[in-house]
Amino acid sequence: MISPETQAPHWEWYYIAMYFYIGGVSSGAYLIGSILELIKKERFRAISKTAYYIAFPLILVTPVLLIADLGSPFRFWRLFSYMNTTSPLSVGTWALLIYGGMSFLSFVNVLAEDRRLTSPGLTKLHAIFSRIPHKVYAAAGSFFGFFVAGYTGVLMNTTARPLWEATDPLIGPIFIASAASTGAAAIVLFMMKQKIGTSEIFSHLETFDRVAMILEIALIVIMLIVAGRYAAPLLTGFYGVLFLGGTVLLGIIAPLWINWRGSKTRAFGDPIMLSAVLVLFGGLMLRISLVQAGQM
Amino acid sequence: MAKGMFVDTSICTGCKACQVACKEWNGLPGEPAHFHKVPDRPYPVAFNFTGNSYDNTGQLSATDWRHVRFIEQFNESRSEARWFFSSDSCKHCNDAGCLNACPVKAIVRTDMGNVFVQQDVCIGCKYCIPSCPYGVINFSEETGTVHKCTLCNDRIHNGLGTACAKACPTGSISFGEVEDLKKKADARLAQLKGLGHDKANIYGYNEAGGLNVFYLFMDSPAVYGQPEKPVVPQRRLFRSAALTVVTAIAVAVAAIISFRERGMKKSEEVKK
Repeated sequence: MISPETQAPHWEWYYIAMYFYIGGVSSGAYLIGSILELIKKERFRAISKTAYYIAFPLILVTPVLLIADLGSPFRFWRLFSYMNTTSPLSVGTWALLIYGGMSFLSFVNVLAEDRRLTSPGLTKLHAIFSRIPHKVYAAAGSFFGFFVAGYTGVLMNTTARPLWEATDPLIGPIFIASAASTGAAAIVLFMMKQKIGTSEIFSHLETFDRVAMILEIALIVIMLIVAGRYAAPLLTGFYGVLFLGGTVLLGIIAPLWINWRGSKTRAFGDPIMLSAVLVLFGGLMLRISLVQAGQM
Repeated sequence: MAKGMFVDTSICTGCKACQVACKEWNGLPGEPAHFHKVPDRPYPVAFNFTGNSYDNTGQLSATDWRHVRFIEQFNESRSEARWFFSSDSCKHCNDAGCLNACPVKAIVRTDMGNVFVQQDVCIGCKYCIPSCPYGVINFSEETGTVHKCTLCNDRIHNGLGTACAKACPTGSISFGEVEDLKKKADARLAQLKGLGHDKANIYGYNEAGGLNVFYLFMDSPAVYGQPEKPVVPQRRLFRSAALTVVTAIAVAVAAIISFRERGMKKSEEVKK
């Protein structure tokens, strides 16, 4: 009787995979917004503003998910009493804290810019930090945003679970690409809802999303080749359906097809909105299938 | 002066005295036996016991810090059989995956070289569980923390050996200074090789930076359920992080190019 060599942490999908996903969308949106701010694209200011409006409220949800998953939730503060540089979880927690701070500053900043800053406390706070140029925290935020998007994948690769070990070192890069594409999709949806986007803006975001999706599908193919037979839990059964059907087919290939066919796919509703919804769905399926299949 | 254990599986009889002694000394509860019917067995089986082997727990867990592994190999007609026993536990690796992964310093190495989980510090993030290449450490819902063998931390810091070694009736588990134990292991290996046991080998001199609890196996480590070449996960961290950074740079460049204005106007003209 040979027992399995490694044990699964039994992370629940609605906490950990969900955090990986929401953290990815938030940081993906933030880094698009901050990069545009850093390269001085005033005509894309609407994108940057939307990105900052999305990024902070999303990242605000994530500590709740993370703390809820802990076995001893009231000890979560210990994460901030120490940093273990060999542990992606430890370094990532610190990065999440800094990214949260930077996205908060950017959020308050756009509120002030749109004259929506009504709370006196926040107004006072904004008066203090607005002396620092926006670009300083946009740069810090985009760096730590990339960190938050990618470390979750590195965290999974840095374990001994067969699927996660076999796919090393590709989950981190895949999560970066997925964060970028889901971040762009979230910006598109938000702008459509607010009716502030122009066709030029959507076309740029679509171009970026296309590049990110092509990168993502290429990395997924490499990952499956590298993992070989250890990829079985990801390609068969329930998680096979989520991964191949949800992520690859609906989340990447379908949006790429819509993107390529352009307006000819109007039969299914607004193609831009449809492709953004599919991308966001695919990103969630990617996190759930990779996190849960690795624990089987 | 690292302390450790040498497990000579060639003289293990599978009596499980070590499992009992471990539970007694450390006050670990027994597994509750919930019997139920399973498809291919006519008798009820406790779902958390193996039910098809003399091996009762199948693996290590938060309350099973020792596990006597039964390797039961029979041919089709059951006329030939090969039984191996191996008492498994935490190996107290010198490069411990769990310790490297712990974000709050709950897992520490004591002055005697054993890897110890501080129960009052562990936050229950469970990241150490997949980080152990041996599947040793596990989570307890009851305490909300992780548990594993401590190398009888309280005993060894008071001049005693481990409870399992004390209870072992054949001397298969011996406790002591790792250096002394290695001499004993080498001598025993030479003796077995002299008797014609060519496949006998020592497991744990080089794995994971050296294991403070190491084994003499009569066949390849895989037969005993141990990974042939365990990789301490954190040794891959740099490569994984580096490729992620490269991808991040590529995405940033893609963003800059995608929002280039001139390229955009061209494509708009094409559309018109």
